[in-house]
Amino acid sequence: MNIIGPDALVFGVDDVAACAQYLVDFGLTAVDAGPDGGFFEALDGTGIEIRRRDDPSLPAALPTASMLRQQVYGVVGAADLDAIEAELKRDRRVVRLDSGAIETTDAQGFALKFQVTQRRPLNMPAERINAPGAAPGRAPNELGVQPGMPALPRTLSHQVLFVPDVAAATEFYTKRLGFVVTDVLGGAGPFLRPRANDDHHTLFFIGTPEYMKGCEHLAFHMGGPTELMVAGTRFVKKGYQSFWGPGRHKFGSNWFWYFNSPMGVHVEFDADMDKHDDSWIPRETPLTAEASQMVLFEWRPRWAPAGGPEGATEAEGAVD
Amino acid sequence: MTERAPLCRGTEIAEGEARGFAPWPGARKQVIVLRRGGRLFGWLDSCPHYQGGTPMAWKRDGYLNAARTRLICFSHGAEFDPETGECTLGPCLGKRLRAMPVIEDTDGMVRLTDGSGETPETRTRSEGS
Repeated sequence: MNIIGPDALVFGVDDVAACAQYLVDFGLTAVDAGPDGGFFEALDGTGIEIRRRDDPSLPAALPTASMLRQQVYGVVGAADLDAIEAELKRDRRVVRLDSGAIETTDAQGFALKFQVTQRRPLNMPAERINAPGAAPGRAPNELGVQPGMPALPRTLSHQVLFVPDVAAATEFYTKRLGFVVTDVLGGAGPFLRPRANDDHHTLFFIGTPEYMKGCEHLAFHMGGPTELMVAGTRFVKKGYQSFWGPGRHKFGSNWFWYFNSPMGVHVEFDADMDKHDDSWIPRETPLTAEASQMVLFEWRPRWAPAGGPEGATEAEGAVD
Repeated sequence: MTERAPLCRGTEIAEGEARGFAPWPGARKQVIVLRRGGRLFGWLDSCPHYQGGTPMAWKRDGYLNAARTRLICFSHGAEFDPETGECTLGPCLGKRLRAMPVIEDTDGMVRLTDGSGETPETRTRSEGS
């Protein structure tokens, strides 16, 4: 089962216009968007689908405050869809759509869809750095930052789910769908990657009471920590609410910056996540603030030590 | 009239709308002021889901659902009654927002009422708690 990772996450929302504005300002591109919703895609075509909460075409809502309605997984080929269908229809309803995609629900009642991935191949450089002792990352006269530099989400990276039964959720994704546990934060849950993706995680579970079942956050990969901080700073300047970050996690090593969203989940810029193969032995450590992150910072308006007593403070509305 | 610095003019809070204000420069948390049935309500912008509280808006002044009937924490979608502060759906079910009573003063300005506001939550970090 060559599952690559999330192609899309589908939300049935209270305020379509707010979600559309939010996702465009986050850096996604609106596709077929209108008053009833639309698709908002990253550079590789993965993204977020927004629909009205009462849209009859959506899978049933969870019996909680969650607005997540479906997780759409991309697989390598049609044979993978056949294999997933054969495995899952042993104990649950699996619907084959005209497109060839299949729909079902997981062990906790989250709606799933599997499709041959719609990701477009990306061919872009990672952030390049210079460091003493290493070959230069950039050519002479090539600048590291400049005003107006692009800092756009490249691909949908992962989602984190609140699940009432972590053991059952983990068993479903590992035993039935071939996901691999890469690390475990004790008291929360495991990080998982699917077979056809070497990222540290595309899925993480946090054990919660039933009434919290839903989605904690979703994340998009950026080209590096500088892009992450530039994009996050621009987002703050547009009035959006930082929740946690910027910082760098320990498990996965990814840089992070989380924001509140009108989908009722956190939306994360992330960058530079570890990659693993099957020789990796999962680590397990209790979830603590220290285990969760290597470093944590907090945004503040730009400032510089100038001659006057206040220094140079950021101008109202200044953007880069 | 109190000597406390005003949060805003009363006319800046339209019926059915909510806005967030720093009670003083550098405050760690904002105060949500909303108007319902002509009355003003004030709540600390601090969702009780996590200890210590977290900011609730999805964007500056973005505290309400589309129908303007519920205060929402846009971290995890918790819904609160805008008049009682009680969580009615979501991860902090059974908890409530901290009231920050406000008045529309004789000069038309909105202020926190005396005896409220200077809480450990709203002090700046440099002032300590």
